[in-house]
Amino acid sequence: MLNYVWISLIAIGILAAVGNDIKDESANTYRNGQPISIKFEIHAAPTGQSSTWKGDFVVTIDEFNKFYGVNASGSEVRQTVTMNIGELGEGTFFFSTTEGTPARWKEMAKSASARDKLTGGIKSITFSENKKSAVAQVVFEPIRFVKIKAVTQAALDYANTAVEISLGLIGIMALWLGIMKIAEEAGLIKVLTKMLTPLTRRLFPDVPSDHPAIGAMIMNIAANMLGLSNAATPMGLKAMEELNKLNTKLGTATNAMCTFLVINTSGLTLIPATAIAVRAAAGSANPALIIGTAIFGAACATTAGLIAVKILQRLPRFKKDLETANG
Amino acid sequence: MAEFFRSVVNLISILAIPLLIAVFFGWGFAKKVKVYEVFVEGAKDGFNTAVRIIPYLVAMLFAIGIFRASGAMDLLTSMLSPVTNLIGMPSETLPMAMMRPLSGSGSLGIMTELMKVHGPDSFIGILASTMYGSTETTFYVLAVYFGSVNVKNGRHALPAGLIADFFGMLGAVFICRIFFGI
Repeated sequence: MLNYVWISLIAIGILAAVGNDIKDESANTYRNGQPISIKFEIHAAPTGQSSTWKGDFVVTIDEFNKFYGVNASGSEVRQTVTMNIGELGEGTFFFSTTEGTPARWKEMAKSASARDKLTGGIKSITFSENKKSAVAQVVFEPIRFVKIKAVTQAALDYANTAVEISLGLIGIMALWLGIMKIAEEAGLIKVLTKMLTPLTRRLFPDVPSDHPAIGAMIMNIAANMLGLSNAATPMGLKAMEELNKLNTKLGTATNAMCTFLVINTSGLTLIPATAIAVRAAAGSANPALIIGTAIFGAACATTAGLIAVKILQRLPRFKKDLETANG
Repeated sequence: MAEFFRSVVNLISILAIPLLIAVFFGWGFAKKVKVYEVFVEGAKDGFNTAVRIIPYLVAMLFAIGIFRASGAMDLLTSMLSPVTNLIGMPSETLPMAMMRPLSGSGSLGIMTELMKVHGPDSFIGILASTMYGSTETTFYVLAVYFGSVNVKNGRHALPAGLIADFFGMLGAVFICRIFFGI
């Protein structure tokens, strides 16, 4: 199953990227080769031998939107730019994108030859009498294969992210595995396990009710409920390790593992802390408003997941994977 | 009411870890467990577990990265929006529902963006944050948990997890429409 979903993600991604790039190319989304007229407000004229002008590119928002066929908001587009202008009024320019750069230019800058920098040529430039400003026709460097480039970059970036996340787990993993080992040796986990036996026997019928896996799973679920994700992951991985000791076919998930994971992926938590924090940051009048609705949503997810996992494990398709274990 | 509940749970989660450590170590010490030796013994596995996850997580995140960067989400949104309109789910929140199981940072970004555009207390803002809180990043959890024990065949865990996500999203739309419906 994971095989198919995995390959689909990659295939859909690559196809969509190619499709989007073909669409952009035929619609000329980035207006390759078409000149846009801008006002150049001069801050510094060249001195001595240099021919470098510094100033601001200004395009009114209406012109910008008309040129690219978008609907950016604001009053004008302004970019601090460096220009090199030759004897004949021909030249080049470049600018780095900033926070206020319109989305379309940011997108273009991402796949430009110099990352996050847009360059282009000046077709014509007419200076005002006092040399304080100028009107110019400029053409950006051609932007092509935006999505394909983005896909390549994402593949590399995410591979790095995966390693960073994994290595970032080492510290808290070691800490919690150490603490859990003490609890285990002291017999604490057994006490905890016994209290919840009626529930766990129903959820995990294949796991002996005094098995250490039960204790680790209970602690993982409790930590998740309290939103202690730093503690929940190590406890969950400890639980997986214990569950794997009962596994007769290593490399294949047992029923108990699947049930446990579905409880984890449905993410039942008493306080959706991240969502509340984002709401508060966005200036909500009542950030905690969503506690009730989120618990309801997660309860729906957990219930549906548990029903699904119990039905699916009976399907011959998934049963078969386990049975070949003894062969 | 919600505020009171929140402060109680907050208090519990702040106290939980120090309390847990105190009880575990205290109990262990009382039971004459050699706490230091046992701790180090257990902690030893931390490194191996973390390193074991790497290939699984690389495989998963790399595929999700390609999917996210390709703009496929926009295509899917426009294909599915007629269906979601029927159940009264604003099409703006559809990318949120589809991204949630795939990527934690991706759905966080979508949620933040929706709140910036529509306001956190608008129906879309409330629905998006409810959706974010209604489920976990299924693909990430599967990669990390199965990876830690070298399980390559996850059997029915993924379909069951996605069914859970689907109903979590439906539940979020349902409850938000009842309480904050337009």
